[in-house]
Amino acid sequence: MSTDKKLIVTEIQRFCMHDGPGVRTTVFLKGCPLRCAWCHNPETQKGRAELLFYQNKCVSCGACAAFCPVSAQKTGAERRIDRDRCISCFACAENCPTGALVMCGKEMSVEEIVEVVQKDSAFYGKDGGVTLSGGEPFAQGEATLALLRACKTRGLTTAVETCGYADGTLLRRASPLTDLFLWDIKDTDEARHMQYTGVSHRAIYENLRAVNETGARIRLRCILVNGVNTDRKHYGRLAEIARYIRHFDGLEILAYHAYGGTKSVFLGLKDNGRVDWIPSEQQVLEAKECLRSSGIRVL
Amino acid sequence: MNFYTPNGGERPIRLSASTRAFAHDSLGRKYGLDTLKTDAIPLDDIENFSALTKVEKYDLAIRKIAENAPIRLCEGERLSGAATLGMAIRHLIPATYAGKSVFSSISHLTVNFEDVLKNGVRAIRQRAENAFLKYRGTEKEAFSQSCLNCLDAFEIWHGRYLKALEKLPEYGDNYENLKRVPFAPATTFYEAVQSIWFTFAFLRLCGNWPGIGRMDYLLGDYLKRDLKNGRITLDEAREILAHFFIKGCEWINGQFVGSGDAQHYQNILLAGMDEDGNEVTNEVTYLVLDILEELGISDFPTTVRLNRSTDEALLRRVAEVMRYGGGILAVYNEDTVISALLKDGYDEREARKFANDGCWEVQIPGKTYFIYSPFDSLQLLQQKTLRGYEGDVSFADFEALYSQYKADLFDYIESFACGRAQRFQKDETSANGWKWAEHNPCTLVSIFEEGCIEKGLSYLEGGPVYNIHSPHIGGLADTVNSLYAIKKLVYDEKRLTLSELIDILKKNWEGEEVLRQYVLNRYTYFGNDSDEVDALAARLLSDFADICVSFNGRCGYRFPAGVSTFGRQLEWSPKRLASPHGRRAGEVLAANCSPTPGTDREGATAMIRSYCKADLSKLATGAALDIKLLPSSVAGEDGLQALMALFRGFVALGGFFMQPDVVDATLLREAQVHPEEYQTLSVRVSGWNARFVTLNQEWQDMVIEQNEHG
Repeated sequence: MSTDKKLIVTEIQRFCMHDGPGVRTTVFLKGCPLRCAWCHNPETQKGRAELLFYQNKCVSCGACAAFCPVSAQKTGAERRIDRDRCISCFACAENCPTGALVMCGKEMSVEEIVEVVQKDSAFYGKDGGVTLSGGEPFAQGEATLALLRACKTRGLTTAVETCGYADGTLLRRASPLTDLFLWDIKDTDEARHMQYTGVSHRAIYENLRAVNETGARIRLRCILVNGVNTDRKHYGRLAEIARYIRHFDGLEILAYHAYGGTKSVFLGLKDNGRVDWIPSEQQVLEAKECLRSSGIRVL
Repeated sequence: MNFYTPNGGERPIRLSASTRAFAHDSLGRKYGLDTLKTDAIPLDDIENFSALTKVEKYDLAIRKIAENAPIRLCEGERLSGAATLGMAIRHLIPATYAGKSVFSSISHLTVNFEDVLKNGVRAIRQRAENAFLKYRGTEKEAFSQSCLNCLDAFEIWHGRYLKALEKLPEYGDNYENLKRVPFAPATTFYEAVQSIWFTFAFLRLCGNWPGIGRMDYLLGDYLKRDLKNGRITLDEAREILAHFFIKGCEWINGQFVGSGDAQHYQNILLAGMDEDGNEVTNEVTYLVLDILEELGISDFPTTVRLNRSTDEALLRRVAEVMRYGGGILAVYNEDTVISALLKDGYDEREARKFANDGCWEVQIPGKTYFIYSPFDSLQLLQQKTLRGYEGDVSFADFEALYSQYKADLFDYIESFACGRAQRFQKDETSANGWKWAEHNPCTLVSIFEEGCIEKGLSYLEGGPVYNIHSPHIGGLADTVNSLYAIKKLVYDEKRLTLSELIDILKKNWEGEEVLRQYVLNRYTYFGNDSDEVDALAARLLSDFADICVSFNGRCGYRFPAGVSTFGRQLEWSPKRLASPHGRRAGEVLAANCSPTPGTDREGATAMIRSYCKADLSKLATGAALDIKLLPSSVAGEDGLQALMALFRGFVALGGFFMQPDVVDATLLREAQVHPEEYQTLSVRVSGWNARFVTLNQEWQDMVIEQNEHG
């Protein structure tokens, strides 16, 4: 059995209403091949456990310093973490009384994850179920397939949110186990895609084509970043992609928000949130209207 | 003309402009302010008043009210009758002697409107006359005479309305419709609505606060017949029914700031099965939902009885109306309620008839004397089991502590179950050692409670078929969380001894912030679907319920258990000491069966699962779960699906009563600053709704706090 496979999970969130149809439990998997400048979940980028520090919860009790084997926790007036020294043993997080220090990224077996997901079975009805998100779920390879298979075996409806930048074979094999793909299209301009996500979108399109051929049900999720991709050309290309999908479930516009920047701070990084990137309500409506007028079902 | 919604959505319009205008006036306090003109009827001109018996005084008070209360005919109203005396809104019979009120009145009951509709008040009078003949010359004669006197008064009031209407051609329909009912059985839907309204209005005029009960069950057949005969259209029926709701807002006057001005216990139930197990849902069910949706009327707290087979269309309609916020709809899972009533000894047909009393305490309508006694289980733990943090307390293990708490719970319930026997006197000659004591007269409601006329006993003296005294446990989540924190800290992790912990609590956590943060943050408390702590809650509820029913039969009562705080967490908070789960003395803590504010981190589904792990069918008078939802989380089709999913899970998992409210804490803050702009904003407080601006600061803060965390 492959259910003893382990996955690295940042969070399992219940009663999610916006990650696919119905009430869903969303499993956030850690690790992503993209480095989107606007990333909403920077804590899921790296494929290993990381230390989050919520400074506002710190009461300067010194427990972390007492337990840190490498003196990476600097307490006192200049409270900080020397992340270069940190060996990611998470002794500080284990002993932090307030939850200011948290280990983000926990190894869980397929079985353990399914157990949590099944807790809300009474609420799923015919539409709801589990959504794998992240991060890029397929960055965890076979283990992700094993998780999907285990969910299907239990009769759960499955959705996977993917950036599409993954092993194509894996994606095709996932198709029969996935009731709905939530497929992220970050940008349709190759140069911008390179600039803002760090990778080319060619492989993503190739994978989308391959998965589309399997007859998979696909919903497009498109981030809107003011000044980056808020142009009609982009909307036009999105419409083209949408029309191309055989089993098209609709298109969602997700407005950029700067909260990802705040989360970067918890990781010891600079706040890279950009208020000027937040699209106006008007822009969101325009994008939706533009797509709708091209005959695309916008959710 | 707008009827407020927290989510900014436009309410649909189905009612006529004149009905909407009537609603606007009524919700805008027009009639409520009118009641301030005449507070009560003076009895000072009655000769030798002081020398009269209590019952004689009562009968005269009712008669004087019937003869002299101002008659009110509202412009364009389709139904007649109004409770026009201000004192009634203070839960008193609005009659005074030497400037003082004479009698308090009755609430927490749903009277037998079915009897009024089907048989008419004249049939009730016939029964009263028979009883009078039977009891003449006995000690029961006075009560039997009183029944006849009160019915006379009712006829006087009815006659005054007919006389007033007769003269005014614009009220021709009202006159024709009121001529027969409520004294004869209703024959049409219009008559049926008028019959209930007029009876309800007279009870209210005389200060009583009855519930309405199952409106679709009561009225559905009348409407079906009229629709079939082409006597009425659905739109016409909706108008008539809307006037019932609008007139029911006639006590809104903004005068009672505190726990809100809208809690007059006039509860309504919809849907669910009838005695034979057939679904009741009918046209009236949907009309009521239409009206609540359009007018946002919160004065009739309405609960929908769901079950495993509830139609998808009804679930959807309930979710749609609920989304407008205001907490005007709540839901029962009748599968659990009925099995609780069966366990409590009712037969199945009887159990299926259940309605409630004013919040959610389940009762069989028209047959039940009901009283509940709330108590704070947290103070019991702190003051009794842990001796107010003053003595030396130690227990070998957690089980020993829990056993002591259970013993304390038993003693407490025993003392107050019997302490509450004030309605009883010791009587060595009777079978159970008790007899009902003489009480203040309450003939008017007794007439409409099955059993009273026949037995010659009033509502307060054992007249009704069922007599219920329900102990209600409050502070449940806080007690469970306290016990759990002690278990973890002292017995599992052995971080400190119980004495050391008690020392810390005695100092209100002073100087122990690190430990306090530890228990606040590192333990998972009730409401997060964590088996260890949820099992403790289930165990405590089960033990509590067993203790309660062990007193059944003592005095003339049954003692089914229930869970509630009804906002008492506010009045209890100053008396509460620091709690082991990290709370300081005096904090406002958990409501009803809900988690301690700030401890629920896993969302609504986890909360429902935690709550449903207890065997709620042992709590026959109810256990309410409050759920606060943000407008954004129930927006759109996704949001609708989410609400329906919550209902479905709540029923499948064996929930009892759930009161979701859709409201935004930010908006409530805004309403605190600009109350004038939010006059009709209603919120679910507990078993009732209140216009937010009529809550005082303390209550407002509590509602906001619950919304932020819930």
